[in-house]
Amino acid sequence: MRSLTLEGVSFWYPATDSPALRNVSLHVARGEIVALVGALGAGASTLLLVAADLAPRVTGGRLTGSAARHDRSGIVLPTPWTQASGMAFSVWDEVAFGPANLGWPTHEIARQVDRALEQLELAPLASRDPVTLSGGELQRVIIAAILAMDPGLVLLDEPAAELDSDGARTLWRLIRLLAKEGKAVLLATSTLDALPEVADRVVWLEDGAIRAVGPPDLLADVAACDAGLGTSVATVWRTSGLPGPYPLTVAHALRRWR
Amino acid sequence: MIPVLRLDGVSFSYGSVPALADVSFDIAPGERVALLGRNGAGKSTVVRLIAGLQRPDEGTVWVGDWDTRDCAPEELARRVGSLFQHADQQLFASSVRDDVSFGPRALGVGEREVERRTDDALEDLDLTPHAAHHPYDLPPALRKLAALAGVLALEPALLVLDEPTIGLDRALRARVTRGLLERSAAGAAVLVITHDLTFAAETLERGLVLDRGTLACDEPLAALLGDATRLEPLGLEPPPVAALSAALDLPGRPVRAAEAARELARVARGRPAP
Repeated sequence: MRSLTLEGVSFWYPATDSPALRNVSLHVARGEIVALVGALGAGASTLLLVAADLAPRVTGGRLTGSAARHDRSGIVLPTPWTQASGMAFSVWDEVAFGPANLGWPTHEIARQVDRALEQLELAPLASRDPVTLSGGELQRVIIAAILAMDPGLVLLDEPAAELDSDGARTLWRLIRLLAKEGKAVLLATSTLDALPEVADRVVWLEDGAIRAVGPPDLLADVAACDAGLGTSVATVWRTSGLPGPYPLTVAHALRRWR
Repeated sequence: MIPVLRLDGVSFSYGSVPALADVSFDIAPGERVALLGRNGAGKSTVVRLIAGLQRPDEGTVWVGDWDTRDCAPEELARRVGSLFQHADQQLFASSVRDDVSFGPRALGVGEREVERRTDDALEDLDLTPHAAHHPYDLPPALRKLAALAGVLALEPALLVLDEPTIGLDRALRARVTRGLLERSAAGAAVLVITHDLTFAAETLERGLVLDRGTLACDEPLAALLGDATRLEPLGLEPPPVAALSAALDLPGRPVRAAEAARELARVARGRPAP
């Protein structure tokens, strides 16, 4: 069952001649985790904005092709601090802001907020004023605030950027859990080393177009390594001059080494 | 030699929320230092104290021979270049070039020197093609780099960078590494707050770890990053290259990719192909 279907999507930002996306066709199924990778400017963030119905609706610009969402979507932007309402004096109220705007009954708001805080291990911070939080704490609060609205399609742009190791581990585990619950997850990340454990499919974007789609093993391909998109382990293997296929993770490397 | 930076028994609280307790360390000219630790450990507070945006409750922050308590942030900017966590907030001009040149111009540097510094900083970070763009037409990662270029253009004795690599691809991270190595070789001290331990391993040489507001660790970074059992209680885990070196028991346990590849090739030559 599809959650997102993009068919032949091209997109131009306002007052630009060359498209940020070129003829992109991609679907994301419920229960699936799809990761977008690429060099800076390859189009991953733009693709997420299109998936979220923010481009061109909010950004302006022009879209050709079709983008269909079959579920309500929620997006965490790469600048999560811009997503805080600025109207809440506690983390709990901040996370409740979205569900309250959906007009849900009070008990349902409370249930979703408590659940989201729990999922991101934020319960101990529930009464803190958001302005006193660190960058990583705030990033988790924004992710919780999006999840509290119970979106069927979860869109995440660099969701682990400001998180410490524990926070990142919790997040990646949670993303797997969300997929298991049947949510579709589309994410963009430069943290390539996390993807073998997280993503079902990897989409390699180059200059606005899809260059390759495949399982995370894609990140151990010669071409991916040479484009700076190999995992750290695959890239070390490639640089060492040892023959392929290259191991994707430390565990793979250890198996091959023995 | 006077250290570029000295924190001497520094404590700080946000109201009733304690952030730092009795933190002391020195940084010498040319040193490249990572400041690591969990979210909320107090790392960004250190940046704000060094930039003079906060004053310590106790203890002293010395920038060279200046006590930050006696200096306005704009005076401190003559010695400290700070890149804040949310660097979007540092950009305001209508082109990247104007933004980068604002700092040196505000320092009163001559116009030709302003141009040279601006060109160098843009060049160092591969931003020359974006010089005429409006900063807000750039993606967030490039906005952060534009802000970093503005900091480099100040050519300060101390660079303090909060999460400079967020969202950057590997090529741009390598560019930041190269830029910082150049500045450090020229004598600037570099203090980087980061969760990106791969970048830290490639770029920096000494590791400070904050744990709930206290300084838990101060030692060579390579030794620290290779030691999973010591990292774990500090909320850190070895970056993949360090983990690979440990798992394969590569000689010298390198934490940088090029060195690990070299050792891997060397060891592989002495054994049957894996």
